[in-house]
Amino acid sequence: MSVMASTPSAPVKPKSNTRLRNTLTFWAFVGPLALGLLVFVYIPIVWGFIISFFEARQTVTPSQFVGLTNYVDMLTDPNFVKALVTFLIFAVFIVPTTFFLSLALALLVNNTTKGTSFFRTVFFLPTACSYVVASMTWRMSIFNGLPFGFANIVLGWLGVAPIQWINKPDPPYFWIVLVTVRLWLQLGFYMILFLAGLQEIDRALYEAALVDGAKRGWQTFRHITFPLLRNTSVSILLLSLIAAFQAFDEFYNVLSTGVGSSSNITLARPPLVYIYQVAMADQNYGRGAAGAFILVAIIIAVTIVQGRLFGLGRAEA
Amino acid sequence: MSPKTITRRDFLKLTAMTAGAAVVAACGGKTESGGSSAAGGAAITLVQYYHEYGEEGCAEASKRYADEYTTVKSNVKVDRQWIPGDYGQKLNAALLTDQAPDVWESGPDAARYKAGICADLTDLYTGVKDDFNPAVIDASSWQSKIMGIRMIIDTGGIYCRKTVLDAAGVKPPTTLEEVVNAAKALTTDKQKGLFLGNDGIGGVFDQSIYASGVKKLVENGKVVFNTDRAAKAVSYIKKLNDDNSLLVGAPTDWWDPSSLTGDLAAMQWCGLWAMPGIRKVIGEDFYVVPWPKLDDQGAPSTFLGGWTTFVTAKSKNVDAAKAFAKWLWIENTKNQQDWSLSYGFHIPPRKSAAASAEKLKSGQAKEMWDAVDKYGHDESPFWTGAMGTALGNAAANIIKNGADAKAELDAAAKTCQTELDKVLA
Amino acid sequence: MTVNTQTDTGRRVIDRSERIAIVLNYALLIFLSIIFLIPFYVILRNAFLPSKLITAFDWTWLPMPPSTNGWRDLLANTNANIVDGLRNSLVIAILQTVGQIAICSFAGYGLARIPFKYSNIVFYAILVTLMIPGAVTFVPLFVLVASFGWISTFQGLIIPGLFSGFNTFLFRNFFLNFPKELEEAGLMDGLDHFGVFFRLVLPNSMSVMMSLGVITFIGAWNSFLWPLVIGQRSETWTVQIVLSTFMTAQTVNLPAIFMGAAVSILPLVIVFLFMQRYIVEGVKMSGIKG
Repeated sequence: MSVMASTPSAPVKPKSNTRLRNTLTFWAFVGPLALGLLVFVYIPIVWGFIISFFEARQTVTPSQFVGLTNYVDMLTDPNFVKALVTFLIFAVFIVPTTFFLSLALALLVNNTTKGTSFFRTVFFLPTACSYVVASMTWRMSIFNGLPFGFANIVLGWLGVAPIQWINKPDPPYFWIVLVTVRLWLQLGFYMILFLAGLQEIDRALYEAALVDGAKRGWQTFRHITFPLLRNTSVSILLLSLIAAFQAFDEFYNVLSTGVGSSSNITLARPPLVYIYQVAMADQNYGRGAAGAFILVAIIIAVTIVQGRLFGLGRAEA
Repeated sequence: MSPKTITRRDFLKLTAMTAGAAVVAACGGKTESGGSSAAGGAAITLVQYYHEYGEEGCAEASKRYADEYTTVKSNVKVDRQWIPGDYGQKLNAALLTDQAPDVWESGPDAARYKAGICADLTDLYTGVKDDFNPAVIDASSWQSKIMGIRMIIDTGGIYCRKTVLDAAGVKPPTTLEEVVNAAKALTTDKQKGLFLGNDGIGGVFDQSIYASGVKKLVENGKVVFNTDRAAKAVSYIKKLNDDNSLLVGAPTDWWDPSSLTGDLAAMQWCGLWAMPGIRKVIGEDFYVVPWPKLDDQGAPSTFLGGWTTFVTAKSKNVDAAKAFAKWLWIENTKNQQDWSLSYGFHIPPRKSAAASAEKLKSGQAKEMWDAVDKYGHDESPFWTGAMGTALGNAAANIIKNGADAKAELDAAAKTCQTELDKVLA
Repeated sequence: MTVNTQTDTGRRVIDRSERIAIVLNYALLIFLSIIFLIPFYVILRNAFLPSKLITAFDWTWLPMPPSTNGWRDLLANTNANIVDGLRNSLVIAILQTVGQIAICSFAGYGLARIPFKYSNIVFYAILVTLMIPGAVTFVPLFVLVASFGWISTFQGLIIPGLFSGFNTFLFRNFFLNFPKELEEAGLMDGLDHFGVFFRLVLPNSMSVMMSLGVITFIGAWNSFLWPLVIGQRSETWTVQIVLSTFMTAQTVNLPAIFMGAAVSILPLVIVFLFMQRYIVEGVKMSGIKG
């Protein structure tokens, strides 16, 4: 990430035909991507931005200009505000949890001499699962709320009565379901990133510290490992934050059953799911687009704040 | 093998091979589907969407009707699409585009009529309009035009396991209070008292409002469901949830009877459509009652729902699509009977067809039919998707989060009124 | 057994407390491994258990003898065909991976190495796309792609997913750290930028390509919302869509659903077991980690 702001160094004063050739070469390399992003990302963004100021029901062709009405409607919609709050709580919880647990896994795996690749594989393997498969397994078999669900079976051995996992806001057991499914799916990937970071730390540093009388364990971790993982740490915070913002699949698949009874989704409805419902179920595309851009504004704000806090994008070694 | 020992040549070879194989496979896929759509050299291909009906045999039947049409009209081929999963949202997405299906099924929705998505089907009804149940004509009507053709009438009730209720000395409930008590009495550590849906609400929130005496959610351009009595009625659903006497988290939702037949719950809110499937497993070991009244000022309630066929107004083959819709759902009484009665149970929307529906004329099926006549609430076209979402949010807030029922209903009513005004404008 | 942690060269004598720490380390790892493997176990158990035993009140640990009804029912379901789903997923994931890696490595190299006045502006324009959640552009994108006539086609499923700002960003990082001398030597020898890229840079970038390729493949294989809406016709459903229709279908056949889940995971597990080492290698080099 540290290279984000740096520029490729240009040769000094190229002649104009060299410059032209370079420009053409540049576009030959970057052109396909740029064209694709233009068509499949930028045009939809602009289109969405335009219809967010229009009345667009049952259609995505802007008809009547309504100014900021859609934005006001969304921001005064208690369900949307609740979705934003829900999501912020989720992000505040899931990002640090993901961070520390994946770091812990990486340290544990890194401390082994035998079976390293076995453990690494086991923790990484869930990444191969899709949210659909994982949500299905969680909802229908592990946390299904019936006495024959796996979690309830295990609790039964401990003498605890079966719990209806995904039904009530109080106590909010559904968060256990949602958080565990995400952690199971994602920890392995971040663990790999941490492992890569750990393996690049020069071992001589530890030896030097031990010679200086530092105790292996917390002290070496605090003074050597953690500071040297700084870049990795910043990337993982950013990546897991982006992933949290994109939360959709497991909420959609765990909480709503598609057809029939769908009110479980109101227990924890992230903004993307709410926007999706406003657009696709209510057919109010103008309002859905307005909600989407409110979310984009929040994402950009949070990213900037996080950048300030953790020095993301700052040029440093 | 170290990662770096792969040479560029190996890599390119591998890449080219896999990509090539993928392209071949993709083309293989396309010829397959291309082959089927080119069959018969038909000049017009109509795309028809169905949601997935759960009853065995429906998928095959709908395909059979589609194929049969080509024998009637040789220049038209019907490409029937059977769409499981989240049908509503797939349909909505498709309707936004030029690749919308020509013929599709959905529920009544004035917002769609207003947006000009549905073709006017009034002329298809010439001479047969009076033979349709008036409720289903109303649901499809918009500014004195008829926009859709009802295919089936659905209704539902609380199915109660006779033996279980008898053993516990519980009578089928006749008031909301009795539902709560019965569900509690029937709950054991192996079986829950009642299954309404996996969210503990399912389809009975509207029914509870009706049970309080509210006749319609929307009447004469006004949203009228937010009464004190309605608030009282819906609070019984909260009571059911608080008592832990509801089944939630079952493998299937309320429209499938397996929770009842699989002994997960002693009572279940389910549709008439499921009756043949229930009989297959538990024989006649059940009663069906409509959703009970709040008290003597209210009335029992059930839904008069079903699926309606629409034609896309901007379809390139709108006339051919209308002709097909007419053939299948107005003229072809044999297939209509088959569709309503051979798989699950539905009430045929044409009076003449319903009159000859022997299977619905005895036992519990007859009880349900009588109930829908007396207590059925038809779907209003002015009850749009957005209004449904608003009321659904209110339901969740009341029942899940313990919000004040009247205040939530008032708030939902306000949102719905805004929506309604837009549709009526 | 010589116990030897990675932070230690093994010269020192290992004391008691360290030995305890090592045992604890392994105990914890084994415990966590079991937790992480439980969902896989549950999927396999359900796949091979008769339906009645899945919903029974007593937990059956092992499906003995394994029931093959799930497999039979899975294949018999003609409304949502798992074999077609697997084939479609494979086709889409391979083409999307190859295409995306080609396009993004190209762009990454251009951004890192070809001098161009507005290179930075282009780069930031690409970065911005990372901050836009897919759902924001979802509906307009859908209508746009539909206007090309691409609903229920492989183009519609594959092409919009070929352009990844994220992979481009990682490739650019990687190429920036690539030893410049090699390329300069190539340019001296009369190669143009394409020659340098294909003859010098590409052969030395295999592991990063592999690792980003695997990650892209996983993403493509597991993608859900786009194929759900664009693949209206069942012939174009990916395996994820087939699975999700099992979940929301009106009748639920649990052994078949979980058999489907197991089958859908299998190809990725195989890819993983073979490609794992490249992933760690590639991660180190691509700079995902900073």
